[in-house]
Amino acid sequence: MTSEPIERRVSYLGDRLRACRCQCCGKEYFEVRDYCSNCGRKSYNKLDNIDLFYDKGTLELCTYINEPTNKFTKLSSYIYGIVSFHDGKIRVPARLTDQLIADNKTIDLSSLEGREVTPRFRRRHSVGKGDIVPTISLAFTLADEYYPHQEYKISQPKKDYDLPGIVGYGMYSSRFRIKEEGIERAVPFFDEDSVTAAVEAGKLALIHSSLDSALIGKIYAGSESNPYAVKPIAAKVAQVLKLGKEDGDIQAVDAVDTEFACKAASSMFKDACALVSYPKSNIDYAMVIGADNSQAAPRGWPGGELDAFVGYGGAAFIFGKKDVIAEVEAWYSCTSDTPDFWRRDGEPYPMHGGRFTGDPAYHKHVRNAASKLMEQCNLKASDLNYFVPHQPNPSFPVRIAKELGFKEEQFMPAIQMTKFGNTYSGASLVGLAAILDIAKPDDRILVTSYGSGAGSDSYLLRTTSQLLDKRNRQKINVKFLAENPFAEFIDYTTYRRLKSGM
Amino acid sequence: MMQNRPAIVAVGRTKFGEHYGKEPEKLIEEAWLAASMECNIERKDLEACYMSDCFLPITNKLGLQEGFLSELTELHVPMEGTRSFSAALSAACHAIQAGVYNTVLVGGLEKMSDRWDKIRDDLMLLDDPWSYFAGGTPESNHELMLRAYIKKHGLTGKDQEQLEVALAQVAVKNHANGAKNKYAQFQRKITIDQVLSARKAARKPLGLYDFAPISDGATALILTSETVAKQMTDRPVFVLSIGAATDYLNYPAREDLTHFVAAELAVKQACQTAKLSVADLQLVQVNDQSTAMEMISLEDLGYAKAGSAWRSLYESNQTGQLSYEFNGKPVHVNTNGGLKADGNPLGATGGAQFFELYRQLRGEAGERQITTPEGLRHAATLEFEGFGTKAYMTILGEKTQ
Repeated sequence: MTSEPIERRVSYLGDRLRACRCQCCGKEYFEVRDYCSNCGRKSYNKLDNIDLFYDKGTLELCTYINEPTNKFTKLSSYIYGIVSFHDGKIRVPARLTDQLIADNKTIDLSSLEGREVTPRFRRRHSVGKGDIVPTISLAFTLADEYYPHQEYKISQPKKDYDLPGIVGYGMYSSRFRIKEEGIERAVPFFDEDSVTAAVEAGKLALIHSSLDSALIGKIYAGSESNPYAVKPIAAKVAQVLKLGKEDGDIQAVDAVDTEFACKAASSMFKDACALVSYPKSNIDYAMVIGADNSQAAPRGWPGGELDAFVGYGGAAFIFGKKDVIAEVEAWYSCTSDTPDFWRRDGEPYPMHGGRFTGDPAYHKHVRNAASKLMEQCNLKASDLNYFVPHQPNPSFPVRIAKELGFKEEQFMPAIQMTKFGNTYSGASLVGLAAILDIAKPDDRILVTSYGSGAGSDSYLLRTTSQLLDKRNRQKINVKFLAENPFAEFIDYTTYRRLKSGM
Repeated sequence: MMQNRPAIVAVGRTKFGEHYGKEPEKLIEEAWLAASMECNIERKDLEACYMSDCFLPITNKLGLQEGFLSELTELHVPMEGTRSFSAALSAACHAIQAGVYNTVLVGGLEKMSDRWDKIRDDLMLLDDPWSYFAGGTPESNHELMLRAYIKKHGLTGKDQEQLEVALAQVAVKNHANGAKNKYAQFQRKITIDQVLSARKAARKPLGLYDFAPISDGATALILTSETVAKQMTDRPVFVLSIGAATDYLNYPAREDLTHFVAAELAVKQACQTAKLSVADLQLVQVNDQSTAMEMISLEDLGYAKAGSAWRSLYESNQTGQLSYEFNGKPVHVNTNGGLKADGNPLGATGGAQFFELYRQLRGEAGERQITTPEGLRHAATLEFEGFGTKAYMTILGEKTQ
């Protein structure tokens, strides 16, 4: 830990757990240092950095904190302790996150000690409204619960494809859910937001692709709930996930945030494809993330109708031309200036056009983009295996899919908003991830996103045989998250409390 | 043995607790005046001042404390600041031993209640920043150390229960001592049930009564060379040795989580210099930021083997005495009530430990006065900065050959 002002300038120091190992004697240290205490001066500059970000640790000791310091009071109470890595060679302070501890619950510390834990990427603590939001990976969750540890094994890409396409993907959503009228929706824990979801999704996509993160040349992050009006999510993702070649503490990567309501991310699929195909770009892979802590005013407030549908989470896709699992065969986009949903700068919650968000907005654009693309490719609904529509609520996607001639088995597997809620920029991406989880090689998938304001992007994808090869690398897939037995269901009051964040 | 032995000739202190309306300057003034009156010296007799405060600049926005001390005393002599009283005393002793000065003031001060709303954040941020940013509290490291101790020594069932009771007895004993100390923050007795039920209510290994409070207060002593001391009093209390050591800031990163390496090193050094063994010391003031810290400090001092102090504590307390028994000898610990009952105004805390030893060694401790079979000739303090990041052991007593 360095001085507070330096922490503010380079706020990523605690983001990716780092340690080092002496080349001479093998002693390991938490944090990076210049020489080993055993070996002294002769070890100067002979300490290798070791990365604990994809590692798993053991909760060696713990206690219960019921009176946190000021910066953690929003969490009320939590389990805190010491996590060790590499058989106790490295020990770090650790907060167990994703835990709501009931007032009457007996706390058995010894049942937690000795359990394996996974480092997570979270907000560090509360700050003032105008301050930098510090993040940290000294927040852990139990590896035998909601989020298991997964190894990040890098392998060299082998097979070239003619068309660009998806080479890896990952979906992330939180442990907490609210269930109302048959719809389950994901709720972020206090220390989660659209930034942490974007990082988690990107991390899972890297694990799935088994691609060296240094090969990624561009990252697009689409969101409408960035905690900052100005400061890119994509920069945080690039730094934490070490996208592009590392050059000191700078990453050789282009990073940009995009915004177009719920199609902020899907819009960039074609840009990513074009970029990796352009021979002079020197970029072989590009990552697109759509993630949102979907905003809605509380019920009864103007715009509060959205509160019944908003969710939390997102998905990340890596595009390239090697080891492709789904080629992007065609696309079509359309746009019109239709103000069906908006949020003015400085306002915490979006407003929407009520009943006009349906026919003149969602249906008009989705219908246009989907049918135009099918027309362009000379395809009928029955020629496709799956249809993935944007899904702001349970009824819109079903209505449009049926109208376009799709059968339930073609689109229902893609409807994930009834499991995670509307994840805004992540919604159609999560639907696509769910389809890629179950599709067979040579399946054709039509994805049509929708963004208020308003526009739609349609993509035609064709899966390859490598879809199956890569599938077993990802344990944390959409179904795993949707049906996770460790998901915790909470009431409306708790949901609003969690949603308000740290 | 220290050459040119420095001696304490007077001590002074304020009551510890919440001094809501008093400025920090008023507190140190009160302590210094008490000490100066006791040995009847004037401020012009002081050749230098050493003053400790842990975080006045951060908490009270008072920087360059030496300057306000100068205004207060109207002195322009050299003044130096440290973070703990033991560190101030150590610097003062070195100067006297080197023959630079003959008479100096050593003072300590803290006014924590001024920033009641953020004091725990400040404490933890300064003590162990990584742990703070991971969500740790000033209490959590103590609890983790206790958990580590229980696990390492395989204490389960009845052993663990007795350990828990033994720690409760530490708080009860310190409050019983505090009840006899007119300067103490808490001058009331508590029961084992109160300690245990506070833990149960908090659902934690340690509860409200296991921890030292947040305090305001100031302490001071006058330190002189041996020659000057003999002109001032016929019973000076000599500083026989000071041992000091330092450890990592980050507690989880330390090699051994079950004790304080810095304390162990400081004890060894202090005993070697004074040519005394811990067995010669029947009175010690330890840094009981928590009851667990008192127990572990007794092991670091060498009274008990690692993993066994709790048993002696438990058994000693069965006799109803306020002292412990180690290896057949009584050992009196924290006779002023310790940090638990006397209070813990960081920069001043060590001064209260020396205040107590000075009174005890001179037989002036009144109700709290202890007696030992061979007569009380030596006593020691163990003081920490942070969570065992720095440790000082100081042995006081009559001059030995």
